[in-house]
Amino acid sequence: MSINKNILIFLLTAIGLIVLPHIENLPPSVTGYFYLLLSWRFLGVWKPQWLPSKLMLLLLTVIGIAILYGLHEGIFGRDAGTRLFVTALGLKLLEIKSERDLYLIVFLAFIVATSLFLYQQSIFMAAYILVVCCVLLGTLVCINSNRSQTWQSLKTASEIVAQAIPMTIVIFILFPRVEAPKWMYFNDKHQARTGLSDNMEPGAISNLAMSDELVFRVQFTGAIPPSAQRYWRGPVLTHTDGKRWTQNRNGLSQKIDQPTFTGNAYQYTLLMEPQDKNWVFALDLPAEVAAPLRRNSHYQLVTSANPDKRTEYHITSYPTYNTGTITKDEYQEATQLPGPASANVTQLVQRLHGFDRSPDIFINQLLNHFKTEDFYYTLTPPLMQENPIEQFLFESHRGFCEHYATAFVYLMRVAHIPARVVTGYQGGELNQIGNFLDIKQAYAHAWAEVWLDQRGWVRVDPTAAIAPERIEQNINIDQQIARGIISFTPNTALAAVDWLKNARQLWGNVDYQWQRWVINYDNKNQSQFLSSLGISDLKTMIYWMADIIGVITAVLCWLLLRNPSKTVDPAVLAYQRFCKKLAKNGLIKKPGEGAKDFAFRAKRQLPEQATGIEHITQLFIKLHYGKQHGKNDLQQLNRMVAAFKGKR
Amino acid sequence: MSSLTLKERFSLSRFSSGEKATDEPITLNQRRIFILPTDRGLGFVILLALLLLIAFVYNNNLAYLLVFLLASIFFITILHSYRSLSGLVLRSGQSKPVFVGQAAGFNIHIDNSTSKDRLQLKINLLQATETISLSAHSQTQITLHSATYKRGWQEAGTLTISSTYPLGLFRAWSPLRFNLNVLVYPKPAAAEIPFPESHASQSEQGVTSKGNDDFFGLQSYQPGDAIKHIHWKSYAKGLGVFSKQYDGESSSQIWLDYIQTPGHGIEERLSQLCRWLIDAEQAGINYGFSIPGLKLEPANGQHHYQKCLEALALFETL
Repeated sequence: MSINKNILIFLLTAIGLIVLPHIENLPPSVTGYFYLLLSWRFLGVWKPQWLPSKLMLLLLTVIGIAILYGLHEGIFGRDAGTRLFVTALGLKLLEIKSERDLYLIVFLAFIVATSLFLYQQSIFMAAYILVVCCVLLGTLVCINSNRSQTWQSLKTASEIVAQAIPMTIVIFILFPRVEAPKWMYFNDKHQARTGLSDNMEPGAISNLAMSDELVFRVQFTGAIPPSAQRYWRGPVLTHTDGKRWTQNRNGLSQKIDQPTFTGNAYQYTLLMEPQDKNWVFALDLPAEVAAPLRRNSHYQLVTSANPDKRTEYHITSYPTYNTGTITKDEYQEATQLPGPASANVTQLVQRLHGFDRSPDIFINQLLNHFKTEDFYYTLTPPLMQENPIEQFLFESHRGFCEHYATAFVYLMRVAHIPARVVTGYQGGELNQIGNFLDIKQAYAHAWAEVWLDQRGWVRVDPTAAIAPERIEQNINIDQQIARGIISFTPNTALAAVDWLKNARQLWGNVDYQWQRWVINYDNKNQSQFLSSLGISDLKTMIYWMADIIGVITAVLCWLLLRNPSKTVDPAVLAYQRFCKKLAKNGLIKKPGEGAKDFAFRAKRQLPEQATGIEHITQLFIKLHYGKQHGKNDLQQLNRMVAAFKGKR
Repeated sequence: MSSLTLKERFSLSRFSSGEKATDEPITLNQRRIFILPTDRGLGFVILLALLLLIAFVYNNNLAYLLVFLLASIFFITILHSYRSLSGLVLRSGQSKPVFVGQAAGFNIHIDNSTSKDRLQLKINLLQATETISLSAHSQTQITLHSATYKRGWQEAGTLTISSTYPLGLFRAWSPLRFNLNVLVYPKPAAAEIPFPESHASQSEQGVTSKGNDDFFGLQSYQPGDAIKHIHWKSYAKGLGVFSKQYDGESSSQIWLDYIQTPGHGIEERLSQLCRWLIDAEQAGINYGFSIPGLKLEPANGQHHYQKCLEALALFETL
């Protein structure tokens, strides 16, 4: 094999690095298979005789196909495609015969690198891929330069990548983004999306609080409701075993009274992002709905359209409503308890007048209890395994919205007031330019609903008692926490880790900008951003792209190609003047002749000038080839050349 | 460098066979250097299309970013390709005549007076390809060998210097033509036919019937004796300078005449003449040379020898 060992080691290292992050995305059989082949190939660098024979290679291919087939994924789609390319890459590694094979491997590696972005889009991943790309391109430089120093090749490749970056950014900004037609979507299985589920355990919503993923967007035809009214209704959880809250499936089908609506209505268009569940999160409380939407007995909207596709719905909601009477089933369902309440709980309900006063008073007492007692609102409450409600109420006093909502509902039920947990989203980020609300996973919320005589189901948000900012303001809660606007921990602890907090904030900001400007730079963002620069249509976009690329190319040309043949060494220029003077005497330096040989020849022909020739030559050699020379040497050389008289 | 006429400038042959042949040194510049993607470069374009499709289908911005980065790299590589050749100065060198069947060597000087290393330059001439690397401010001379099949002037034709540095996605090449010719003598015949007998009419002193150059003896050196015939062994022993004498030489000179040379056809005869020329020159015999259109009086030595061979190489039937 004629391929340089260094190149192989270089390439194999790059390949190993590029597949490394896929370990968490791919089944162990595929990564195991791949790294086995890679190690085999690595051994083959030093022991070529150990490389598999043709028959063995065929066998390995069959094994690879068997592994892929065993995963029952076909060859299309993200997971299946990635597995296919990783397997093909592994097999191709064992069959390196010519330079062409190396290129094929590098190309496959670039495909695998791209597939990594389909799983993760963090800054770290981008930086990692950039570095690995430099190594891959370095391999190509190595092949085409026949240099043994791989380090030098890596440097050249990095230079090329660095030169390409400005152009990349320009194309990235100006390349028209068009959403792929629907038939091009692959139905990827196991593409788990985060989001609310039909049951709730402690910690379920605080997991979502970190996700910046968009759930839906709402554009109002008229006024936008104030943030205190932005409750987007999702699944209603009525049944509990003391820890886990679930939807009561039987209750969903029963007949209920039509609510009566009063006050002003909100009309809006809701654009759901692709979801796993067929829920549509309407503003509390939706009124008329048209197909494919349907309102279930919990006043939650469900759709019969495919939730996996982005879909638009037109909905009308009224913030003031009366749901009327409660059915028997509803009452039963809304007062269900996992067992008799403990003495602690009964005592608390007693103390807050749960048994002897009206529900209104009890509700206020309880909310006041949350406000005045030492309750903290935190994303990372202590783990409550055994009896989360009691643990939260009497021990930790730390919880997220789901803790407050469930504890509230539980206490209501102990006091025989029908109550249930409502999950959904709360708030929404107003997009000033488009005048629409972005509702992200981070806004996932849980609140309570109690049934009161004459008023029907009434929303109570116990979290509001502890963290009113969440209700009043229209800001992402986790960012508020990150910025320290909402602080749930004692200040003394914060002071000690102040610099850490600052760093985290800075990083949070960088990450936010990255998400916003790089990951989510879609056709909407692009047209918004470009129209703010005065670029409105496709034609102007392309003109601008061509123009800017032209300018960048011109700059690069100037940087790369200026004065390619000019000799910069002034010593050489001086020596050339000296040679010209000698040429007048018929002494012409031959192309292959060294300065010393030429001087020897010149001295023989011009003995009277011997010392001058000798001095000039020595000085030139010192300046041009020597490592150390003084500042005056060049001046002296110039003087001597000027003084040198060629003609006899 | 002289400027081109409009017609020359748009001539397609510039891409493959280069411009008019010249003796001047040629500096590679934008007029001489051509760049096109290699098959690997085309493969890279297909890769880009595939990656763009992935980015499009999954609407993935980082995938887009990677595609754009690779596309920019692809584009910028054109400049690097150009830079791998530009500024090099090529000059043709002298080349020695050869006999048919021997490889003709064409000498080329390449001068890199720039401050940039040139890596893996491929220089192709006829069937021969050489790969060299030139560090900054250095020069080199290479000899490209090419097989010879025919006597006469063998033209070097187009010399192509090319490079796929840095990524192998583009090939920059420059087709150059120098006035670079090698004179090819006829192939010496293998058959050992004795020297032709000189005719009385051509001979001044008469010739022995022996055409063979058998070793005859030694005699003291006379000025004019061929240097090849000096008996170095006796000189080394300090016995004085002696010349080796061959039978048939002392008195002889021969005429090598095309008309009287045996052989079928022109080439065979020329081959035979060539063989005799070589042998006669080696033996130090004075030989006269006659082919239609040229007659050289008997003489000996390199100058005469080359003149005869040249006449053989360029002989054309009338």
